[in-house]
Amino acid sequence: MTGGPPAPVRAADGDGGSFGASLRRAARAYPTLLRVGLSEVVAYRAEFIVWILTTNMPFVMLAIWHAVSTEGSVGRFGSTDFVAYYLGGWVIRLLTSTWLVWELSMEIRGGTLSTRLLRPLHPLYALSAQHLAALPMRALVVTPVVAALIAAAGDRLAIRDPRLLAVFLVSLVGAWLLIFFTMVLLGSLAFFLESSIGVFELWLALHSILSGYLVPLDLLPRWVARIARVSPFDSMLAFPLETLVGLRDLRAALGSLAMQWMYIGLMALLGLAVWRRGVRRYVAFGG
Amino acid sequence: MSYACGVVEVSALSKTYRVHRRPPGVWAALRSVFRRHTEPVQAVADLSFHIAAGERVGFLGPNGAGKTTTLKILAGLLHPTAGTVRVAGFVPFERSPAFLKQITLVMGQKQQLLWDLPPSETYAMNRAIYEVPKADAEATVRELSALLEVGDLIHKPTRQLSLGERMKCELIAALLHKPRVLFLDEPTIGLDVSMQAKMREFIRAYNAQYGASVLLTSHYMDDVTALCPRVIVIDHGRLIYDGDLKALVRRVRPDKRLTFRLSAPVERAALERLAPVVSHADGQAVLTVAPERLNTTVQAALSTLPIVDLSVEDPPLEEVMRELFRGAVAPASGPAPQTGDAA
Amino acid sequence: MSVVARYARLVTVQLRMSAVTAMQYRSDFLIKGAMSFLWLGVTMVVLVSVFQQRATVRGWTFPEALVVVGCFTLMKGILEGAVSPSLTSVVEHVRKGTLDFLLLKPVDAQFLVSTARIEPWRVMDLVGGVVLLGYAFHRLGGPPAPHRLAAALALMAVGVMVLYALWILVVSAAFWVVKVDNLSYLFGSLFDAGRWPISVFRGVLWFAFTFVFPLALMTSYPAMALLGRLSLATALAGAVGGLAFASLARLIWRRALGFYTSASS
Repeated sequence: MTGGPPAPVRAADGDGGSFGASLRRAARAYPTLLRVGLSEVVAYRAEFIVWILTTNMPFVMLAIWHAVSTEGSVGRFGSTDFVAYYLGGWVIRLLTSTWLVWELSMEIRGGTLSTRLLRPLHPLYALSAQHLAALPMRALVVTPVVAALIAAAGDRLAIRDPRLLAVFLVSLVGAWLLIFFTMVLLGSLAFFLESSIGVFELWLALHSILSGYLVPLDLLPRWVARIARVSPFDSMLAFPLETLVGLRDLRAALGSLAMQWMYIGLMALLGLAVWRRGVRRYVAFGG
Repeated sequence: MSYACGVVEVSALSKTYRVHRRPPGVWAALRSVFRRHTEPVQAVADLSFHIAAGERVGFLGPNGAGKTTTLKILAGLLHPTAGTVRVAGFVPFERSPAFLKQITLVMGQKQQLLWDLPPSETYAMNRAIYEVPKADAEATVRELSALLEVGDLIHKPTRQLSLGERMKCELIAALLHKPRVLFLDEPTIGLDVSMQAKMREFIRAYNAQYGASVLLTSHYMDDVTALCPRVIVIDHGRLIYDGDLKALVRRVRPDKRLTFRLSAPVERAALERLAPVVSHADGQAVLTVAPERLNTTVQAALSTLPIVDLSVEDPPLEEVMRELFRGAVAPASGPAPQTGDAA
Repeated sequence: MSVVARYARLVTVQLRMSAVTAMQYRSDFLIKGAMSFLWLGVTMVVLVSVFQQRATVRGWTFPEALVVVGCFTLMKGILEGAVSPSLTSVVEHVRKGTLDFLLLKPVDAQFLVSTARIEPWRVMDLVGGVVLLGYAFHRLGGPPAPHRLAAALALMAVGVMVLYALWILVVSAAFWVVKVDNLSYLFGSLFDAGRWPISVFRGVLWFAFTFVFPLALMTSYPAMALLGRLSLATALAGAVGGLAFASLARLIWRRALGFYTSASS
């Protein structure tokens, strides 16, 4: 590791004091953290807009499938279905993805993580607050697309059935959590690897196929789809998306919900474990 | 190209640039998309001076005075708004390759050295860019390495060198093509005291050996005192003084600093009876005394106070400058050129 | 030494610097090489999914679409290997305040800036592209006729020129708006749409990708030339348009530099 500031005397990795006390501390600090995060987002609005424009794959794919479907529908998908799928996919992607990996990598490599560790608040609480604070801005940006989505394909969407809608909303929260913890895991690898960006790109590539982001799972080659449906990637995008556009009925959705929250638990445990080991190593070697 | 007066000739140089000022806030940001509000800022106003070949000149002035702007105009990095500039017979901002091969710029804490590679690779690249014959380049690197005592450092990747080592290697890179004019912009900033001294020594030696002209801007008065017999003082873009440094100090005539170490506590009033007190704490007192009253004050102090140790110093040159900028020395409407010796 | 010879020598010097720098980060070579193949794999999965459903899409068969992907991969290698890294370094220079050093060198600043950094592991993209093209033409029954190959190469050269010009435009923006780092990602993501034959796009997108961000010129036209589907008129128009674009970029770069040297301090 490149030389960084001297190691902190005691690393606050959340184990100091009782769990309840640290939770209370976090709860008190959270509103302020959110507010600060919000002003940060406003300050970085240029980067934010560029990032949104970078997320344009769904529209390109929509154009392609549109070209394919002019002669007739593709499996279950007619033109309108594709529109619903990709607009919905874009919205969900925007609302749930985070850039945590880059931030963690930079902080670990640059040594600035030490400042976070010195604070009496678990760094992950602070980081999660930062990322949650970005949601209002993102919600603002996706609203026109959501409106377009409802206008174009309202009859297909899950908004008709309140139970399905409830499952969808929970799945959305779940997707955010799952992605967050996966990012914690991937970012923590920067404690051990020279370049964790390579692992992240691998994850990105797998995600783009297996989550249904580029191609609806139904239309993928059979064996790829089979792997995708049982992978955590399904829980990150395909599950909420297909529930939203009516491709999963209530029974299937509830099954996916169970799988999603199982994965969340798994990723949380794994991510936090790697994080803790990483912090110990970071502190021991002075970053 | 022949030049009558000197290697740097500046006449009525002015530089004004428009700055876009925008108050903070979201509304202002939106408005600025449609209507930009710019203000003119005059960085340099009506500057004139000549510098002869082989001279060492220091540019002094407070922050934002226009020193760096002037230097950049001389190096061809900025276009002046008005006035004429000639360096080594060329018009700098035309940036002709022949001109660029005559000059070099060294900036403190900014390097041209390639980060991931050893300095020797940067030297190889500069050799190709400046079209220096291989033998000449190797000889120059050898000579300068010896002068700067870098030894084998030029073969270590730049990122592994300390700041001082990097600056040494940076100097070699900057001088590889044996330029005739050296522009040094705050070259010793951030370096430790011994490193600063070594750099000053090197620049003196280089100037003496190769006759290159040196234009230096610095915050550290020590740089200027040690290196530049002639100073050009700039404030708010205007020339305040141009001439011999020692003469300047004599002109401003600041009071001397008298520092006592006391063996027993002394009341401030007792000290104030002697001379105005600058500081008084923990057995040490500093008084400020006019040079003509120095003798009487010292004698009075020695006889009335329990003094263990005593020293008389010139005040920090910053004070001299502050006096100057406060207008304590009325500047003539034009410069008072007393060209000091080049040594 | 004549100007051309001098600049040729400087190119070799810069190439050597980049190669030596790359050797410092050897592990990256394998990782980034593997990444290229990974993304190629992703593209293949998507292509296969699409062509599972139909034999032709807007008049393009699967092997023909592969030709476009092949040309795209070649161009991507050049973009990410030579154009992007060099021009990103300008943004870094502007931010660190070391651009002045470039301007002080007795060499054209645009040249220095454009050859500053080359990433040799991107040669994997070139390999991948050639392999794809080989496979595609094997499926199509045979290699393209030599005159078609020549036309395609010429168009690819124009495409590189347009790519480079686009990047110069982005970088020139860095003189006005320093925070341009993310634009390299935006550029890359827009460029990704070049995987697909231009006729897939309609309306606004088709217009944008033909005239505003001329992906058509960079990937589809060379592919169409290889397949003999490009009319001479279109090819010439593309070439002329590309040259005009490049001259415009040079003009804007000079304006940007003029801005930097007149208004900065």
